[in-house]
Amino acid sequence: MLVNIRQAQKPKRRRFAALWESFRVSAGSLRANKLRSSLTLVGIVVGVTAVIAVVTIIKGLDQTVATTFSSQGSTVFTVSKKPRVITSREDFIRFNKRKDVTMDDAEAIFRLCSVCWRTGVAANSLETVKRRDKSSENVAVRGITPVAMFDIDAVTIDAGRIWSESEGASGRELCVVGADIGENLFGSEVPDRLIGQKVNVGGRPYEIVGVLQRLGKIFGQSRDNIVYVPYSNYQKNFGARDSLVVFVKTAAAADLEETEDQVRAIMRSRRGKLFDAGDEGFTLETQDVFIDLYKKATENIYFVTYGVAIIALFVGGIVVMNIMLVSVTERTKEIGIRKAVGARQKDIRVQFLIEAITVTAVGGAIGVITGFGLAYLLALAMGFPLLISPWSAVLGVGVSSVVGVIFGLWPAWRAARLDPIEALRKE
Amino acid sequence: MSEATTAPPIAPDSIVQTETPAVTPVIGSDTLILMRDLWKTYEMGAEKVHALHGVTFEVTRGEYLAITGPSGSGKSTLMNLIGCLDTPSQGEYWLNGKNVSEMDDDDLARIRNQEIGFVFQTFNLLARATALHNVELPLIYGGVGSAARHEMAKKALASVDLSDRVMHKPNELSGGQRQRVAIARALVNHPSILLADEPTGALDTHTSYEIMNLFERLHAEGNTIIVVTHEHDIAARAHRVIAIRDGQIEKDERIR
Repeated sequence: MLVNIRQAQKPKRRRFAALWESFRVSAGSLRANKLRSSLTLVGIVVGVTAVIAVVTIIKGLDQTVATTFSSQGSTVFTVSKKPRVITSREDFIRFNKRKDVTMDDAEAIFRLCSVCWRTGVAANSLETVKRRDKSSENVAVRGITPVAMFDIDAVTIDAGRIWSESEGASGRELCVVGADIGENLFGSEVPDRLIGQKVNVGGRPYEIVGVLQRLGKIFGQSRDNIVYVPYSNYQKNFGARDSLVVFVKTAAAADLEETEDQVRAIMRSRRGKLFDAGDEGFTLETQDVFIDLYKKATENIYFVTYGVAIIALFVGGIVVMNIMLVSVTERTKEIGIRKAVGARQKDIRVQFLIEAITVTAVGGAIGVITGFGLAYLLALAMGFPLLISPWSAVLGVGVSSVVGVIFGLWPAWRAARLDPIEALRKE
Repeated sequence: MSEATTAPPIAPDSIVQTETPAVTPVIGSDTLILMRDLWKTYEMGAEKVHALHGVTFEVTRGEYLAITGPSGSGKSTLMNLIGCLDTPSQGEYWLNGKNVSEMDDDDLARIRNQEIGFVFQTFNLLARATALHNVELPLIYGGVGSAARHEMAKKALASVDLSDRVMHKPNELSGGQRQRVAIARALVNHPSILLADEPTGALDTHTSYEIMNLFERLHAEGNTIIVVTHEHDIAARAHRVIAIRDGQIEKDERIR
């Protein structure tokens, strides 16, 4: 056979054949060195698990915060003496110089605000609640008026009823309790059996007229450890000389701006302030301030957590590089053989890169699964919703593959650059 | 600069200037290899060691050539140059009408893939791959599609009487069978040269004869064969012997 077949292969086809060979070889080599492969995998799995768990937990946390702080909805805003969040001493002093928001202010808003849908006032304090030998400390006692405040707070009655407006105005010791009160002070009694019973709130006996549906926890803090009392009674028993907070709810989110403008105008005229005349003398804010504060406070924490996750991935990458370098050394002879029969530098480079990517992608996939598992356990323990986003799975595998490429580059380059004569000589 | 240890008879530069004009040589249609004044110099620290100095020869298509010489004579260096695993420091190497001495790494890889079929002393098969896959290897890097690849590899294995060992791995084969797999791999791409480096060095006498008989058959079928060996009886099977000593051709004779 004297005639040489000069195969005029298309470059595309050549690339595919060599690529497929690379997959075969890397799969074979990973199978052949099980311990080494699993050690490499662990490096990547840990990194990706960390990333996925962190991302999932953060998403769950964000979601929890968003739903909790906007449980009153994006249709509620408040009028108060000072913002709920004060970040500087100067502001603190300035806000304290303002006049208190009084019942007169609240009534003016109730009366004059034509676009307001629900309005109310609320004041809080922490009290000890007792029944016979049982007691709960630091229970939130919330004095409200009118009963529309229940709507604004977005709580609903599970058993019994809400007090009537006339009962509320009478100043009698009536209350609507959160689910925790029943559980902590009445044991396993069904909510219906609580109605008409007495509890001692801050030293005075109160009659339970209603029990609220359970709201759940946020940050491990129960939102059901609460006692609602009529504001007139609250004022009498818990000394509400503090400034009030007026709550306004609009019928739809679209009405919020117009309603805010109207309430602002009412308050300005009451404070005798002109438009743009420095401090207004009151604060009008939505629940968004909490979310903003939360974002600000957690931003740095997230940054650090992401940083830690990235370091974990980096360490995983170093492990991959280390193992790949060992692999290149061990397979020097094989590289020599491949070069002798016509493998180009690029073919060898691609082969080792694919091997690195295969390990890291498999590690990434396992890491995604364990990451979600870990996030699930954490979410369960901390009472967050588990938000699994398919994107983070794609991201996990993608990022780890990129790690494979980055940390596989140098070993692959070294393998490709081996001198075939030296490589063949090696045993 | 000390050249005391391996002082060449003539400095390489002067040869280029005086004897070799920089023109493309006229190569006869049957000329497969043309080596002209080939030098290979290694720098060992400050010293220059000339593994080859001024080697010139020609090989025509269909020859059966043996290159002999004691160890350290430069025959391995010459083999590496013929096999395009290395490039000369100076001089020209024309293979099948192409000036190999001026090629880069990737071009050399392609030449090795298309023009050279290597047979090594220690077989150099991929341990984890089957005989079939080992034989397919040059075709993979040659970009042959999988169906054609299987076909060609099976045919090559059949030509070395290994049709019944296609799916065996090297450790399931005897030494002679392994060398036959290596020969099938060398032949599968229909190269210009079958280049064997001590092909019987790791085999017993009986198996060595088998392999040499196979070489003779392949030569009879028209293949160009170059065997590098230090064993005289192996070299004696060739039709022409080039003896290398101290980096130069000592003897170049037709024995058959």
